[in-house]
Amino acid sequence: MISLLILLLAGQAALLDTGAAPLAPPAPPVAVRAFDTPNDAGKSITLSWNAGEGPAHEAWIIERTAAGIEPEVIATNKPGETGYLDEGVKDRVGYTYRIAAVAGIDTVWSQPSAPVTCAPQLFNADRLNILIAMVIFFALIIYYIETAKKGKNLFVRRIAGLDAVEEAVGRATEMGRPIIYVPGLGGVSDIATIASLNILGEVAKKVAQYDSALLVPNRDPIVYTVAREMVRESYTKAGRPDAFKQDSVFFITSEQFAYAAAVDGLMAREKPATNFFLGMFWAESLILAETGAQTGAIQIAGTDSVFQLPFFITACDYTLIGEELYAASAYLSREPLLLGSLKGQDYGKIIILAIVAVGSALLLLSGIPALSILARIADFFSVR
Amino acid sequence: MKRSIPLAICLIMGIAMMIQFFVPHPASVAFYDLTTKWVRIVAAFALVLGTGSLVMYHVDKLQRRRRGWYYSIVTLTAAAATSVIGLGWGVRPGSPLQDIIFSNLLVPLNSSMFAILAFYMASAAYRAFRARTKEAALLLVAAFVVMLGMVPIGANVPFFWFLVVMAGALIVAGLVTRSKALFIGTGALVVGLLVWLAFSGFKVPRLMLPDTAEWVLSVPNMAAKRAILFGIALGGIATSLKVILGIERGWLGGGKQ
Amino acid sequence: MKLFNYLLKIDRRIIYIVVGLLVMFPLVKPLGLGVTSGPRARTLFEAIDAVPAGKTILISVDFDPSSMPELYPMLTAVMRHAFAKNLKVLLCGLWVTGAGLADKAATEIPPEYGKKYGEDVVFLGWKAGVDAVILGMGENIKNVYPVDYYGKPLDSLPMMNTVKQLRDIPIVFAISAGTPGYQDWLLYAQSRYGMRVGAGVTAVSAADAYPYLQSGQMTGLLAGMKGGAEYEVLVQKAGYSKAYMPAVAAMDSQSLAHVVILLLVIVGNVAYFATRKRGA
Repeated sequence: MISLLILLLAGQAALLDTGAAPLAPPAPPVAVRAFDTPNDAGKSITLSWNAGEGPAHEAWIIERTAAGIEPEVIATNKPGETGYLDEGVKDRVGYTYRIAAVAGIDTVWSQPSAPVTCAPQLFNADRLNILIAMVIFFALIIYYIETAKKGKNLFVRRIAGLDAVEEAVGRATEMGRPIIYVPGLGGVSDIATIASLNILGEVAKKVAQYDSALLVPNRDPIVYTVAREMVRESYTKAGRPDAFKQDSVFFITSEQFAYAAAVDGLMAREKPATNFFLGMFWAESLILAETGAQTGAIQIAGTDSVFQLPFFITACDYTLIGEELYAASAYLSREPLLLGSLKGQDYGKIIILAIVAVGSALLLLSGIPALSILARIADFFSVR
Repeated sequence: MKRSIPLAICLIMGIAMMIQFFVPHPASVAFYDLTTKWVRIVAAFALVLGTGSLVMYHVDKLQRRRRGWYYSIVTLTAAAATSVIGLGWGVRPGSPLQDIIFSNLLVPLNSSMFAILAFYMASAAYRAFRARTKEAALLLVAAFVVMLGMVPIGANVPFFWFLVVMAGALIVAGLVTRSKALFIGTGALVVGLLVWLAFSGFKVPRLMLPDTAEWVLSVPNMAAKRAILFGIALGGIATSLKVILGIERGWLGGGKQ
Repeated sequence: MKLFNYLLKIDRRIIYIVVGLLVMFPLVKPLGLGVTSGPRARTLFEAIDAVPAGKTILISVDFDPSSMPELYPMLTAVMRHAFAKNLKVLLCGLWVTGAGLADKAATEIPPEYGKKYGEDVVFLGWKAGVDAVILGMGENIKNVYPVDYYGKPLDSLPMMNTVKQLRDIPIVFAISAGTPGYQDWLLYAQSRYGMRVGAGVTAVSAADAYPYLQSGQMTGLLAGMKGGAEYEVLVQKAGYSKAYMPAVAAMDSQSLAHVVILLLVIVGNVAYFATRKRGA
């Protein structure tokens, strides 16, 4: 505040020195609006105003007043900034605001705003579009799950990578070499890891049936415990609980490249017949896949990381792309509930495609002045 | 009970977090902060679990003298040494953990593993980038454009000359291999080049290789990526819903009831 | 024919040796292929160049040692640029594994320009919680980081007397190898506090950053080692630094590596078509 005053005085002094005429006082700001910031957690008031007709100003000053409190200047804005977010307020306390236009030594104040109080909102209206989309999507999934429960046959297209699982396990049995299953480097809260663990259950069941060897190296300790229980349960379901080896599922390290090095070493020593790389992967994906390719193993990979998919596609025999990995548990088990949710997901995608097409058309047409309202409709789909 | 309680917790917390996303009230924000703190605390427990599992696995391997048991000595020694140094001398800058173990061991080892990617990319590309189908051929051309366009060697090369060189290489390859597919592809390319030249007034078009590479990355590549991301997002929502409703129970560790 | 069959099944080790030799050669004897700076690097350079002397820029070090060859040269180039322009540099990080790398830069680069820690450069360190950290810094940096990485109270560092919150910083340069990274700075710092955000990313994730550039949310982008090399060249051409340029030196190697991979692909395809045609 003091620096602003000095600046103003210096400006005026400079004008006096040159003998130039003093600046005309600026016009007071008009249409000062103060309102509770919408869709927030409270303690915030939004201000907006317009510049008045008249001589230009050099800065805005914003003053806040509350009952029993001296008016205080809370901010200064540059000339083009006709809005301010005041986050230094308390909920349910009445405030009024004045804005001043400053030019030289002249400070011209606006009329005070209407009193305003702020409070937290219970619903973020900006996210209404997400709520509607969520309800529609959930409704679709639940509808198709119910449809599947009634025994309706639901078609799912062939996924080559998943069809190859049986062949891959059989190959390992014939060659007398183990299968290495890498459940990714993500944690158990990652969707890809959950999907991978579901596939591990099915693979372990087949391995138990074929009496093959399975090795599951893990990067995450929690995933390790889940994977171990998963494999044990699968062996039990296949009627071979005695065949389960505790140390076939093990934790290596949480360090990314140390894990990759350890798995590479495992592949070089054990020379597996089949490698599964299913889950979340980062930069180590090609290191794992290429080493596996060098040992001559058949490789089935799947990840939802768009950056690593090209590496897996290049180095592996089969790759599950993105949601094919999520569909795997439904595809392999053929359980009606899971197939139903897959169907609902697909119809949700059709709706999204339609919205993308319609939204793009609306935005294109909104370029025509008479149809500019269409931009507002398209705006409804944006996420805040 | 062993399954019911985790499923119930999953259902309640899943619905609670969904509601939290739409409620900006401070109580909702405080709830979100609390749950993220819980997640971090649980993750810390996982470290203890992981260390215990690691030690037990390698000790067992040592005791039974299973294949590669000597690697277990290295692992256990490294784990013990890092723990003792960290606990004894601290982890602040200037400590042995930072200077010796992090800067002089972990950093070079991590960089070396990452550097292996360069060699593996070369061998993977050599093995896999074969123009077996039309789509593979298109992939090959895009790979050529992007690889040359992203390095200084291709910085001042007009895309037109790139295509001319490619046409020349295809002609030579066609003559050597007498492949019909190559002859047809080359012919189409040459015709396309002549048409382009005609449209640009018989002057070399000014489109440069790096600009073409950038177009490939930011238009068709981005479109494909976004399409995959749409599917992944929806698949993620569906899987999350299945987990919350207890339809998907793999994460419990032990298949479905 | 035998030759084509041999080429189809060539031992990988030969490929590795060829790639290894061609990558090492320019490091010993530079080819001088030269690097021309693109518009994205220039935008970032001009944005930092326009910051008035005495102001502070923020650099967020969000990468780990595995991405160091690609991203560390960007960090040093931008720091050299800032110090040459008498700007102050505030370092922080959203990745715990980046702390050691930021510490290295904060120790090595300032003495080249006679800059002192605490007066011209401060390294805040790493704190857990991405959005809480950025939003907290937006209100008051000292609330989030009461002490710096070395345990010194921020109140005792002269540079922090003029930098209280993110609004005091005109631009943040986020060097990211993944998430968390520049997207969080865009989401919180740019949209909320009006900060300009520049980004340095690995080559593989550069395409993801283009939409932010096109929409104007991001001020400049350095993509991969090439982006780092472009910035180094800009800094040197402007006379701000005469230091060794590691990214530029490595670009010769990268060029040769790309060319050799392309040649290998061509050879492989020739062998494939030859053997396929002759029914092998």
